[in-house]
Amino acid sequence: MKVSIVSLTCCAGCVSSFLNAGEALLEILSGNFEVVYSPTFADLKEVPSVDLAIIEGGVGTKDDENLIREVRAKSKILVALGICATHGGITSLGNMFALRELLEKEYSLVEKTQLPELEDLMYPISNFVDVDYYIPGCPPMPFLIVHTLKSLVGGKEPPRNQSVVCTECHRKIIPAKLDRLYGVYEKESDPTLCLVSQGFVCLGSLTRDGCGAPCPRAGFTCFGCRGPPDSMMYRVRDMYGFLIKVIAYRTGIPSETVKAELYRNPFIFHTFIFSKFQRSIAREKVI
Amino acid sequence: MSDKRELTFSPTTRIEGNGKVTITLDGAGNVSDAYFYATEIRGFDYFLRGMDADRLPFIISRICGVCSTAHVIASVEAIESIYRTEITETARKLRELLLMGQVISNHSLVIYFLTLPDFYFPLDEDASKRNIFQIMRERPDIARKAITLRSLGATILDLIGKREVHILSVIPGGLINPLLEKDREVLLQKAQSAWEVAKDALAFGKELFDKNWSDFKKAGDCKTYYMALTKNGGLEFYNSKIHIIDPDGNIVSEFSAQDYMKFLEEKSYAWTFAKFAYLKSPGWPTGIVQVGSTARMNVNQRAKTEVADREMKEFKRKFGSPTHATLLFDYARLIDLIYACERVQELLGDKDLVRTDTRVKVEPKGGRGVGVVEAPRGTLAHEYVLTDEGRLEQMKLVIPTQMNNVAINLNVKDAATEFIHNGEIKPGLLNKIEMVIRAYDPCIKCATREADGNGRIQLEIRDSRGQIAKMVQT
Repeated sequence: MKVSIVSLTCCAGCVSSFLNAGEALLEILSGNFEVVYSPTFADLKEVPSVDLAIIEGGVGTKDDENLIREVRAKSKILVALGICATHGGITSLGNMFALRELLEKEYSLVEKTQLPELEDLMYPISNFVDVDYYIPGCPPMPFLIVHTLKSLVGGKEPPRNQSVVCTECHRKIIPAKLDRLYGVYEKESDPTLCLVSQGFVCLGSLTRDGCGAPCPRAGFTCFGCRGPPDSMMYRVRDMYGFLIKVIAYRTGIPSETVKAELYRNPFIFHTFIFSKFQRSIAREKVI
Repeated sequence: MSDKRELTFSPTTRIEGNGKVTITLDGAGNVSDAYFYATEIRGFDYFLRGMDADRLPFIISRICGVCSTAHVIASVEAIESIYRTEITETARKLRELLLMGQVISNHSLVIYFLTLPDFYFPLDEDASKRNIFQIMRERPDIARKAITLRSLGATILDLIGKREVHILSVIPGGLINPLLEKDREVLLQKAQSAWEVAKDALAFGKELFDKNWSDFKKAGDCKTYYMALTKNGGLEFYNSKIHIIDPDGNIVSEFSAQDYMKFLEEKSYAWTFAKFAYLKSPGWPTGIVQVGSTARMNVNQRAKTEVADREMKEFKRKFGSPTHATLLFDYARLIDLIYACERVQELLGDKDLVRTDTRVKVEPKGGRGVGVVEAPRGTLAHEYVLTDEGRLEQMKLVIPTQMNNVAINLNVKDAATEFIHNGEIKPGLLNKIEMVIRAYDPCIKCATREADGNGRIQLEIRDSRGQIAKMVQT
């Protein structure tokens, strides 16, 4: 199987995560998996025709857009790896601002330059091309990437994760009686109790599983990097209301108070940055 | 007589991020100028304004997935300096261990996956073969070594940082979780087997380097200032003073993290999304400074671990100190790796590492603070100004690739001038020039975090009529 690994606008963390797969990585690379195009690892400068293309990063420039269109046209299967490719990711926080203006101010880009033209916003690749599989995550865990790739190499449909992170978290949900919400750094957490019932804004209850819940297990709130689960994909607006209900129930704080705290700017942008999953995406394709 | 012309290589390959190179030739076909530039950009400096400090480190981490740990620690230390938090000795040791894990994970990637193909294959090797995947097919044992090393780094980040990429555990006040005794034992065992691989990598690397050195030594050797963290003249990556030496090796500045921004300045050009950082004194364009592996060898006299100390001294004996040849970065990177592998064993051998006092209470306040660490690519600094409500008011990051950016451009031109005469472009030329860039292990992702885009690098050589302004007089 010939493979392209393409990196658009991103932090390169998804491919780094793939390289952390250890033995499983060796197994994949020594099997039917020939990386022919990858500017990060190989010298071929032109995009070849391949069986499988793995894309990390979103579309931030016209160069990205042209490249992703070309790669799509020359690939049988196209996989969006990581939340930037699947929905725009952290970088799309920049969509709150007019980047072009900032560029002019900061880089004096008033004269004509050779640099690629910027898109008006940071887009997920599905805005431009058809995607066969989405592996959301920031970054997706190494085992999730290799399991999916192994299935694809073997000509099988990759197993999907359809539930929420809470199902993979060992913490016990016991409704509490708290007077306010807490920041992650404000107090130490009890290692056995649900983080939400301790007053932390953990998004596990509205985030797709498949990661093994590394963040809540470590005492850090889930920040939603796998995007919504199947049941919420087409009801993104309901998610905020759902989260308020979950928090109010588990903390005993009145919903109105929770709502006021959650909707405070810019907290809400940073909280839900990973949850704005494209509505047009067919959920059957999300791994 | 041929007309003026320009060569463009795009994208530059086997580096992290998207870039391009342009080389301009004059009427006689000799190099008149060369540019290496970043073609992606994101905007972190802007969209983070107004953000709550307690979410900052974990979003800042997304600047770069390759060296995220260094960003998280620099960010948390900047916040702690504003809060005036003194973290515990245990937390300090664990943070240093995380930084060492980062160096091992990054350097094993750069050494095996990115630069080894240049030294392993003959210079005129078919470009489609010149990569780690081909080496893996020919020598599965090398692949296994690369994975063993990388996996030590990843396991340290996973067991202590709680995620291999974009670690979670480091927060203002220390670390969320103490290290468990059983995890310490797992890591120690892994570190011991990785140490054998690291020694082997050093021997193999030195052998390949010596074989190619006569070809490579002319590929760029511009003389600049150097900067690195240091403790009493010894190699350090965390919690120590910063030294700057001049091109002759004299120490010109010595300061602590909080004074960092008094010494560095940055500027931008319209032809690249990556900014340039330089020394305020002596100013632009004399104050070009390099950071990273070679800088660490030039600034320091010793290393506190045995083999790294011996290798550093041998390096200085062979090449002098300070030494300026660009491709020595590839050699010096091996010494970093040896140091990190030795240091990891030392730190893990300490039973106090599993103490549970990893976290102290923080008292949020407003103000200005700086966090500095030695990232795999060189000295990294984060400066924040927080409001009394704990929101980010202002942010300035000085990133290794921004500092090396000037030297990269100068050395690309230097190398192009060395290799191109009378318009004759020999095979393998492009790769030789890319090797100069690769030696710096530039992280376009980090250097271009500022607006929206991607770390794509291109090298352009433009003709003298090109509208691009000349960058610096040499």
